[in-house]
Amino acid sequence: MLKYIKAIAALMLTAGILISCKEDFPVDEDGLLITARTQCYVSNFELLGADFQTVRTENAIIDTTAQTINVKVFYGTDLKNLFPQFSLVTDAKLDPKITGAMDFSDLANPKKFTVVSGNRKIRKTYTVNIAVQQP
Amino acid sequence: MKIMKYKFMRYLMVVIGLAGLSSCEEEKYAVPVLKQELQNDVIKRTLGPNVAGLNIEFAYAMAIPASLGKLVSAEVEASIAGAEATYLENKSYYTNGSGNDIGIEIGKKSENNGTKTTVTFTRDTTAATLRYYYNIPSTAKGKEVTFKFSAKASNGQSVSYSMGPYKIAQMDMVLDLDVKDSTNAYISIEDMAVYSAANAPANAAKIDLVYLYRSIPNITFAHALVAPTAKTYLPGVTLPAGVNRSAKVQKVWNLRDFHLARLQYGIFIDDLDFQELNMASAPDYAINLKAEAGVWVETQDGKYRAYVYVNSVNNGSKSAKISIKRYTMK
Repeated sequence: MLKYIKAIAALMLTAGILISCKEDFPVDEDGLLITARTQCYVSNFELLGADFQTVRTENAIIDTTAQTINVKVFYGTDLKNLFPQFSLVTDAKLDPKITGAMDFSDLANPKKFTVVSGNRKIRKTYTVNIAVQQP
Repeated sequence: MKIMKYKFMRYLMVVIGLAGLSSCEEEKYAVPVLKQELQNDVIKRTLGPNVAGLNIEFAYAMAIPASLGKLVSAEVEASIAGAEATYLENKSYYTNGSGNDIGIEIGKKSENNGTKTTVTFTRDTTAATLRYYYNIPSTAKGKEVTFKFSAKASNGQSVSYSMGPYKIAQMDMVLDLDVKDSTNAYISIEDMAVYSAANAPANAAKIDLVYLYRSIPNITFAHALVAPTAKTYLPGVTLPAGVNRSAKVQKVWNLRDFHLARLQYGIFIDDLDFQELNMASAPDYAINLKAEAGVWVETQDGKYRAYVYVNSVNNGSKSAKISIKRYTMK
């Protein structure tokens, strides 16, 4: 009986040592997992108005080579209160973060957003160009 | 070791046995004994904020054993006298097999006497449920109102039941204003009214929004509510003399207030919504409005905030039907 107890205790001790010595998964400053992925692009873009309805007249044109997002919005869109939504490749994140409505009214100086890859080593800055529908 | 094991087992058996016994015990059913007295009960039937002009509805039930007598009268006393339309139903309803409410007249129509509303029974009745509709008077705005329901029986017994207090909202409401492009297009939040082009100059200082409908190629304009200052969004509109106020306008979708829309959605705008609304960066126009959409509005002087709901639109006649809830800020 004692033999068994000793054997089990030894086994558990070994297992404990092995597990505790294993390195933790690396996380970044936001507590998000840093992975091995190097892809870094925007896959979809949406723009919502103050009433949370889309203001796009058509799908946004995302150029991952030129790193631009061209979006055409309805005539009369209130550009000062828009909610952008980015869909990114797996594990990537956006900088700056979107926390609420943003002011896109300065058309001459379009807003820029940086996509950071899963391994947090590649950064690509996208420019969001807005064009308003004209009569 | 072995003895202890048995002891433990025995104990466990006893516990299980006891638990088994208790679960098998049957609760005896007893027919409820009828209370030998006049009894009553009240439920409130309306939900949401209490807005002046609307009803607060209650159902007041009362009953007495037939051997003791019959009902003589039912009365409701409100702490603030209701508006003229306040009444206590003189019919007791039951629901038939098809789900319809069938009323049986039990007395004369109710009479309002100051804060009291009374129904006197004319038929021999021992049980009835009467509905009470308290039409909220504008004098009750911002105050609290309580109700005392009471009933009397022929044997001299009387019972009463208190309800409330209920807070009456500060806001005002107006339903189904017709607006029409260029003719009946000038909306005043202060007056909660729509003015025609001819009447607009006389009320110019109170006009906050202009309604218009445009069908312009290549863009979506459609139905719009635009402050007179937003000239870009008033194409082809010649404003009447003196109409030059600004306003903050914020488009809203999916906010179909129950009072304004009268649809199936249980959403209510209350005073608090107006108080906490942040319209600092709102523009002075809203175009491309659809039916069941709405806009939050703040007048130029910040005195009023309102929610303008679009009940329906008609592209052909360039018109719309709107309803407004308004809150006075200062």
